[in-house]
Amino acid sequence: MAIEFERVSHQYVGVDQKGYLAIEDIRLNIRGDGELIALIGETGSGKSTLVQHMNALLQPTQGRMNIFGIKVDNLTKKRKDVKLTPIRKQVGLVFQFPEYQLFEETVEKDIMFGPKNFGASEADAREKAREIINVVGLDESYLSRSPFNLSGGEKKRASIAGILAMEPDVLILDEPTSGLDPLGRNALLEVFNTIHETLNTTVIIITHDMNTVYEYAKRVLVMREGTLVYDGDPLKLFSKKNIDRWNLDKPEVLALAQDIENKFDIHFDTPPRNKTMLKDALKEALK
Amino acid sequence: MNPMIEIKNLSFAYTKDNMVVDNVNLTINKGEWVTILGHNGSGKSTLSKLMIGLLRAKTGTIKIDGLTLSEETVYDIRKKVGIVFQNPDNQFVGVTVRDDIAFGLENLQIPRETMIEKIDKYAKKVNMQEFMNKEPQQLSGGQKQRVAIAGILAMETDVIIFDEATAMLDPKGRKNIYEYMKELNREGVTIITITHDMKEAVDADRIIVLKDGRILRNDTAQNILKDQETLEQSNLELLLPLDVLYSLEKENVNHDALKEYLWQSSLKG
Repeated sequence: MAIEFERVSHQYVGVDQKGYLAIEDIRLNIRGDGELIALIGETGSGKSTLVQHMNALLQPTQGRMNIFGIKVDNLTKKRKDVKLTPIRKQVGLVFQFPEYQLFEETVEKDIMFGPKNFGASEADAREKAREIINVVGLDESYLSRSPFNLSGGEKKRASIAGILAMEPDVLILDEPTSGLDPLGRNALLEVFNTIHETLNTTVIIITHDMNTVYEYAKRVLVMREGTLVYDGDPLKLFSKKNIDRWNLDKPEVLALAQDIENKFDIHFDTPPRNKTMLKDALKEALK
Repeated sequence: MNPMIEIKNLSFAYTKDNMVVDNVNLTINKGEWVTILGHNGSGKSTLSKLMIGLLRAKTGTIKIDGLTLSEETVYDIRKKVGIVFQNPDNQFVGVTVRDDIAFGLENLQIPRETMIEKIDKYAKKVNMQEFMNKEPQQLSGGQKQRVAIAGILAMETDVIIFDEATAMLDPKGRKNIYEYMKELNREGVTIITITHDMKEAVDADRIIVLKDGRILRNDTAQNILKDQETLEQSNLELLLPLDVLYSLEKENVNHDALKEYLWQSSLKG
């Protein structure tokens, strides 16, 4: 198991000294062998607090975690003998709007920063940058360009390349596609699919987009008021009961497929997960 | 039709050889709801910043309600046009919710009693009246965005631009903001929304499609939303039911009832 949550709670203490329980009694296991997980929940449900525990940016105030063999609990910070640095390399966290964190003169230098920070030589880091830029769907000509002259989607890819260059076993992305146009969004989602399939990296995406969840995720986690209320198959998540009690948006493809089944004499044997599957299934059914 | 915004031969560039807004001509009428669509980097946000004088045009003119935008008139223009940006964290300037809503009003030098009245009225309108003394870090993204909107509403401008104002919000927050937009428009406020979300564009009176800084199309929402070629050129997607409908037509599938149903659902967004 790559990351284990053992009854983890986290309490923030506000300016008024009042405690606020952001996550509560979380039990969760993340494997490090290339899962693609979607993490959903309303604003304020504890998603960000949860993922910040995964690379020990935050530590439990109750319960404990095991992150790649390193035990983390409320005493970890005080102990001098526990080094958290290896965790930061194994679990890469990409914040929302990572493009604001680009700072070097060239894309290449920006990508090299992480590996060098973790002890890679100049030559190795440069080699890594060359390798990784293709994975995120940019070509090598981008390496010499200034990150500040790129489009929104290109900046996002460059900043994700910077995290990938550290070769994390788990890559966590906080709303990676917000602000992108549909074409840019789809291209980036394909990049994540490639990363999880070819590099065997476990990818965890925080998203509000149920279409993304339904089409790409193999597993979905639902946070609600600080607790983990669902951990399982995305295809089984969108029952009427769950939609009502957790205030979920139905994925568009699912909603349309169900409407068509209800109104017409058409039945889909396997539920289509994306629009290509829906179109093909319809053509097949109407042949 | 009374024009609220008249843009003539407007151009803007950050660097010499790269026109971000390229000879745009556009008239928006009083009380209209106009949606501006376009790919990332098409010049949508630059155009909105030009309209409130945050950027200065290279050539061309912008008239708001008959008043030509210039260095001398920019503060009067901002009494007529308000803007809500995408990231609520970048626009929260007050220490508390009350301060933040008051910020714009303070600059208008209106009497204190009127100001307090307005703050309360618009905080209530966006349903934040119970959060008046909260600090920004105690609020969710959606709540902060509602405060930003209250601050703009309090200015009682004739035009409000929503520049991807819902992109960072969760579905519930997004629906809320969208309801405010509709309500404002019913009350006669001219609404300009900048978005990638086709479902947000369905209710617009008119859609402007920008591509590489130029106006590619300027037409009714109905006509744009069914125009696959225009949408593809702009990195946009057809609404799902229309997309399915077109693919059935391409394959000559015969099922008139289904096709009619797909067409009707696409009109609902």
